[in-house]
Amino acid sequence: MENSSLPSASATVTCEENPTCEEVAICEEKVVNFPAASDVLIETEQSLLVDSIATIDPDVVTANNVIETQKTAWQKYPAVQVFLSTFLTIFLAELGDKTQVTTLLMAAESHQPWVVFAGAGTALVATSLIGVWLGCWLAKRVSAQTLEKAAGVLLLLIAAQLCWEVIHL
Amino acid sequence: MDWNLLGLSFAMVFISELGDKSQLAAIALSGSGKSLRAVFLGTAAALLLASFLGVMLGEGLSQVLPMRWVKGIAAIGFVVMGLRLLIGGGETEAEDEPSC
Repeated sequence: MENSSLPSASATVTCEENPTCEEVAICEEKVVNFPAASDVLIETEQSLLVDSIATIDPDVVTANNVIETQKTAWQKYPAVQVFLSTFLTIFLAELGDKTQVTTLLMAAESHQPWVVFAGAGTALVATSLIGVWLGCWLAKRVSAQTLEKAAGVLLLLIAAQLCWEVIHL
Repeated sequence: MDWNLLGLSFAMVFISELGDKSQLAAIALSGSGKSLRAVFLGTAAALLLASFLGVMLGEGLSQVLPMRWVKGIAAIGFVVMGLRLLIGGGETEAEDEPSC
């Protein structure tokens, strides 16, 4: 009962060093095929678990671990978040934009959609590269706070332009 | 390969996209400096997909998609990103200097 003051710490260590608590489920699947051998396995593993984590339910411990790893993975990759939000907003904003209308008209007139797509695609990649480079260049020269304010206002202006387009569509 | 057509489509799109809202958004998002590569990849992928759909679907696109809704959702997205920059400005991480 002295162990109960720090149960979670000892349980986490066991799961990381010796992932028995996650393997119990796998072993239980083996019961169907090899009853005798896996019974022994489960018994030894359960006794290991009981020894190390005393009164803690192994299911709860694993669930907590999973939640923690998911959280850190999400926090570790804000780039994915940036990518997705950028992609979605710009994709929706560009659908039906004048550039898209130009490309589809050219593709329809020339009957060579792939050539038009190649030209338009390189142009779009070039302009976005220039845009990112300009933003980075500015970030080196203007203070971060000023730039964040300016960027926020700029994004709101883009939203206003989109709203105007919605009204006058 | 029709080089004339390639050059023409490049020039037209390049000129009409310069200073357009997607490029401004790219400047704004990369300037706030979280991760440049993600902003570039996101912008480029979105533009490529949009123009690909335009070329493939042609005129049918505006019939397939309710344009008002699409633009409205995009506007909401930009408002959210802008407000996040304006309001949550205090949490600037001291990241290492971006290389560009």
